[in-house]
Amino acid sequence: MVKSITIFTTDTCGYCQMVKNYLKAKGKNYEEVNLDHEPHRRDEAHKISGALTVPVTVVTKTDDSQEIIVGYNLAKLAPALN
Amino acid sequence: MSNDKIYDVIMVGAGPAALTAAIYTTREDIDTLLIERGVIGGLAAVTDIIDNYPGFSQGVHGLDLADNLRVQAERFGAKIELGEVTSIESNGKILKVKVDDKDLLAQAVLVATGCDYKKTGIPGEEQYYARGVHYCATCDGAFYRDKRLAVIGGGNSALQETIFLTRFASHIDLLVRSKIKASDILVKELQTFIDSGKVSVHIGVSPQEILGDEKGVKEIIGKTLDGKNQNYVVDGVFIFIGLRPNTDFLRNSSIELNEQGFLVTNANLETNIPGVFVAGDVRSGATMQIASAAGEGATAALKIREYLEEKNRKIKSSTE
Repeated sequence: MVKSITIFTTDTCGYCQMVKNYLKAKGKNYEEVNLDHEPHRRDEAHKISGALTVPVTVVTKTDDSQEIIVGYNLAKLAPALN
Repeated sequence: MSNDKIYDVIMVGAGPAALTAAIYTTREDIDTLLIERGVIGGLAAVTDIIDNYPGFSQGVHGLDLADNLRVQAERFGAKIELGEVTSIESNGKILKVKVDDKDLLAQAVLVATGCDYKKTGIPGEEQYYARGVHYCATCDGAFYRDKRLAVIGGGNSALQETIFLTRFASHIDLLVRSKIKASDILVKELQTFIDSGKVSVHIGVSPQEILGDEKGVKEIIGKTLDGKNQNYVVDGVFIFIGLRPNTDFLRNSSIELNEQGFLVTNANLETNIPGVFVAGDVRSGATMQIASAAGEGATAALKIREYLEEKNRKIKSSTE
């Protein structure tokens, strides 16, 4: 079960918009961390994903395990939401 | 997705070409389904500002244009679904479009899958992908605030993305293999950043290798015209060296591709397989412009309408 979802995004990132649209379509609430508005959290996004890119989606389960999805990757995102 | 329904037209892709085509087909009450595997709006959606699309005197953000096209197409009844098309087959009457693990049927298909950015193939490119090597400035530029960057390429995309990246980077080395082949307005805009010292342009430099460590990219080596290697100390490399068509899924089909993998069409934008049409950047001879893609989408939609009318007329006359 999903406890929370956090997405790291930027203002101009088309793939970020796609992830947000997908989550909305699935009725999932999420917290957005926009790195253009919160640049001090870039290192956090980098540390979590190991990548210098957005979107990074962090799906936290009820047992506090996390799945990290880098980019717009439905093959990983869709099962992570189940 | 229904397995037995026959759509009037299935559009593969949901960039400006397909979305424009869908606006036209749905307004004609042609049952239209779009299948997109990536971003609705295609490469246009990951472009910061589009300055040469008519009707927007101050330019338009790629994301906004993509979203407006999507809303407009959906307003008339276009359906957009996410999925990956893996093949298109014809039995002479109906077209079968394989989407993930499902088969969908259609009277006509529009392939408008566009292009993706080419890769250089140099050592380090794959190793440091997303850890210092990037193909999307609007996605990844924010990680390079006050860092040094290299941009590879000399076309419109390379210049446009270099200009975009100046808002983050402390300095950008633009490595151009032959010469700059971009619009004058971009060249002029770039010149302001060259004059301010923010951008250095290196003509006649072929990238050879991207070097780094566990933390990411450290430098890129380029070969100059006199055959010497030149090192550029950078924290990241953005690559914009041209486009490759998204037609890998058609490599083993009977649909004709040219040597570069672009789809070959006749003047009606139809391929060698009746009922399979093409619009936008993926078409052989395309001008790689969003306005052209939209125009081709409109043309293809009208040709699809003619095709469907003719097909239905033949079916009707054969049953009378």
